[in-house]
Amino acid sequence: MKALHQIGALIRKDLGLQFRSKETLVLIFVFSVLVVLIFAFAFGPVFPERVERGKLTASVLWAAFVFAGIITLNRSFIVERAQGALHGIRLTGVDASNLYLSKVVSNVVFLFLLEIVITPIALQFLDLLDVVTVGILLKLFGVLGIGTLGFCAVGVLLAGMSTSTSGGESLLSVILLPLVIPIIMGGAKCTVSLLVTGGLDNGFWLNLLIGYSFVFLASAYLLSGAVIEE
Amino acid sequence: MRLRAFELTKDFGHRSIVKNATFSVNSGEVVTIFGPNGAGKTTLIKILATLLKPTSGELEIEGADAIADYSDVRSALGVVIHEMLAYPAFSPYENLRFFGQMYGVEQLEHRVTTLLAEVGLQRFAHEPLHIFSRGMTQRVMIARALLHHPSVLLFDEPFSGLDAAAKQFVIERIEQEQQDGKGIVITTHNTELGYLVGTRFFFMISGELEEIARKGEVTAETLLQMYEDRLTL
Repeated sequence: MKALHQIGALIRKDLGLQFRSKETLVLIFVFSVLVVLIFAFAFGPVFPERVERGKLTASVLWAAFVFAGIITLNRSFIVERAQGALHGIRLTGVDASNLYLSKVVSNVVFLFLLEIVITPIALQFLDLLDVVTVGILLKLFGVLGIGTLGFCAVGVLLAGMSTSTSGGESLLSVILLPLVIPIIMGGAKCTVSLLVTGGLDNGFWLNLLIGYSFVFLASAYLLSGAVIEE
Repeated sequence: MRLRAFELTKDFGHRSIVKNATFSVNSGEVVTIFGPNGAGKTTLIKILATLLKPTSGELEIEGADAIADYSDVRSALGVVIHEMLAYPAFSPYENLRFFGQMYGVEQLEHRVTTLLAEVGLQRFAHEPLHIFSRGMTQRVMIARALLHHPSVLLFDEPFSGLDAAAKQFVIERIEQEQQDGKGIVITTHNTELGYLVGTRFFFMISGELEEIARKGEVTAETLLQMYEDRLTL
């Protein structure tokens, strides 16, 4: 019960900090909109085939969310390390795995809110909003949500390690991206399928996405103690 | 016995920062460790606070093995180090409330309000920490360290960067906590203030800890003279 209270307090603290400063919020929103606009102007304004539009939108969405995710993960740990707040939390005796879980949840919530805002904007700019139904949009958010969970599962662990080193911000991109390739591949393929056909044609990519996300979450959860305490 | 350190050593690469530090702290004792910059005082405090693992040695806090079971002993520790150990974007009230929830402090609202009054920060309770002066920040840090009623207090250079009023506040607070039976460890290079609050005195020079005397055994002047002699050796 105490663990649940601690996780709850940590999540509220994380979201409170993010929404109070709004630095990260503004940064990732502007960044994501810019990515969408650059692709839309480079490939637009006319996209004749729905297949092409679907593939392009999937690329744009995943590129924007992966790099916005890296910014968010870095920032979420820089706040903890700046004035030794992470030491303060460790001194409360909280289990490192609970600290890890709270960071995953708060980053997933934060990024998912971004996805809810950016996805319709991307669909509009890439001329797909009128063909995407509410049902498809909900499935798309489901895919994005699972992908974000897997991304944050491994990203939180690596951000915890990288931000404790000099040059950690750039280091995170280098060590995180190769590890999340299966998630990006699975997520992007599922997104293409949803935007082109309205369904998930091939269960392989969805299974890959779900499988990797939960394997990453479980293994990172087990490793979190060593990373946070060392 | 509140705290027992036995032959604590910390190496970074080939360099030993803390060398076989052995001492103990009893209830109501204030152990003052004097040492120049770079002597290893902060490293020692971080080891005692379980924030840093020693390369070798033993550490017991309230009778428990603080190296193997660090999570269990942390709630017995109140720590004030150079870093704020808090969130500058949050107010003292928000910080204390958050850390109180993490510690599972009972009657938290009352505890936070009382502590803020005790450290003289009621007027600034809802201002963000990043606008605070060093002295005000130190008051918040002390409040955070005392929030969960710890039995062992660790202060790393608690007087540095403070004006006379803030120093007086820290001195009075340490004396009060000592009277409450807490075991206290202070590191400082300020022999005058360190002598004033301490009951046992140690020198730490180049990572080596040496017990010098108890309060009644030396005067402040003698202690200062001994300290300066050691530094010039």
